[in-house]
Amino acid sequence: MSAAAPALHIAGLHAGYGRYDVLRGVDLDVGPGEAVGLLGPNGAGKTTLLRSIMGLVKHRRGVLSVAGTDLLRLPAHRIARGHAGLVPEGRRLFVDQPIEDNLLLGALHLRRHRDRVAELLESVYDLFPVLRDLRRRPAGALSGGQQQMVAIGRMLMSDPKVLLLDEPSLGLAPIAIGEVAEALEALREQGRSILVVEQRVDLVLRMCDRIYVLAGGEVALEERASALGDDGRALIDAYLG
Amino acid sequence: MLQVLLSGLAIGAIYGLVGMGFAIAFYVTRVINFAEGQLLMVGVMVAAWLARTGLDPWLAVVVGIAAAAAVGAVTYLVAVRPVLAFDRFSFAWLVSTLGVALILENGAALIWGPTSRSFPALLTGTSVHVGSATLTLQEVVTIGLAVVVAIAFELYRRKTLFGKLGMAIAHDPEMATALGANTAVVAAAAFALAGAFAGLAGVLIGPITYSNPYLGDTYGIAGFVALMIGGTARPAAAMVGGLLLGILGEAANKLINTQASDWFPFVVVVVILLVLPEGLFSLVGPLRRLVLRRSRRTSPVRVAG
Repeated sequence: MSAAAPALHIAGLHAGYGRYDVLRGVDLDVGPGEAVGLLGPNGAGKTTLLRSIMGLVKHRRGVLSVAGTDLLRLPAHRIARGHAGLVPEGRRLFVDQPIEDNLLLGALHLRRHRDRVAELLESVYDLFPVLRDLRRRPAGALSGGQQQMVAIGRMLMSDPKVLLLDEPSLGLAPIAIGEVAEALEALREQGRSILVVEQRVDLVLRMCDRIYVLAGGEVALEERASALGDDGRALIDAYLG
Repeated sequence: MLQVLLSGLAIGAIYGLVGMGFAIAFYVTRVINFAEGQLLMVGVMVAAWLARTGLDPWLAVVVGIAAAAAVGAVTYLVAVRPVLAFDRFSFAWLVSTLGVALILENGAALIWGPTSRSFPALLTGTSVHVGSATLTLQEVVTIGLAVVVAIAFELYRRKTLFGKLGMAIAHDPEMATALGANTAVVAAAAFALAGAFAGLAGVLIGPITYSNPYLGDTYGIAGFVALMIGGTARPAAAMVGGLLLGILGEAANKLINTQASDWFPFVVVVVILLVLPEGLFSLVGPLRRLVLRRSRRTSPVRVAG
């Protein structure tokens, strides 16, 4: 990596459930302001990797840091306080609660800084203007695309240094996928550091600077997105099986 | 009949407070604290003991409630958290909270003796006449406090960030953690609040029952039944369940025989649960939809007519 501390630095990470290691020595970096895509077949450990970064999966050994802070020493709820933010697979919104409450719950650790919370809320509404009008609606009453916006907004409310997204296009209508992709590109242009797990190779190649392919709990391929022409896509397809 | 209704509300308010204690702890952690009734007993015993030592009775009552809250939080930290940390889906809390109940009960009997002791009479002396019925001031205060506390809790749950966080943890604890919530602290706070509810119930019923280490059994069961009647979707529903249980018990005593409150309310509860397994309040949603649909269907007719 470059001289500046990487936004996210992972080296030799082993993590898993029970006695079983899902991740077997993952090395991965996300540079400041870089958007990185994570591809791989089902069961490769993509979701487990994002969950390990958030401290939700037990790690065995390795290095895991965000902007120089060692995350392996922090409990999960401390990681979520401004270090890393997660948009989980399936969104996992608090469906009975209004959209604005969902968003405010993202900024729990900033509750004593009301101005900052108001500022963040404003920036989320600027990114997704449709949510401003719907803010009193229960999150469960929204379309899939709008729910994904709430999930992304909730993650942004924690003001994280690294943005983690797990399958943001999953289960969405094509038009909603377009909207979510646009939002991610806007975040990338703002210089946010992003790690996104995504099945759709075309989206990843469009949004990301670099890609990693994960297979069997290890990194099988790392490449700049721009270096991947049609051959590269075939290569990725081969890994994805 | 008015007397039955009001006396039923007075005792039902106690059941409701204990029921809400069960509900609050369950709401956040999905754990039934089977020592909830014993927390009522802790409130009674500590308040009675302090009053006997010469402390101002009102102060003794406040300390009694605080003691119940503290024991509630300790119950979570000692008997629930370690069990769930070992296995999130474990049901070992069934045994561990029952164990806490036994320890508290026998501990209290060891410290203060197994027999009933006096409890400071705070408000029992004064009578209040409501129509043809007569209540003690203590009973009137009990009903009023229980309703105020239930409403205040519901407002707190819905309107404050901490309340909303409780709802979020109830819905998806792992996601709440991934948003920065320290779920252990919130859960301990919920157990403490649940203890405070039981403690409040204790100091309200203390002047009638006196202080006795085995009080927790009766009121624990009644509170649990109140929870079952109200359902677990919203903790304040347990208050309604408790009030209903109280009225049923008083009515049974009056209309069947003087011991009927021991069994009749439970028959009714079994019937309610057979028909509505998720409690009385599972009717709210469908009823609301029915009313909405009907008003929509009937309004054009009215216009035409």
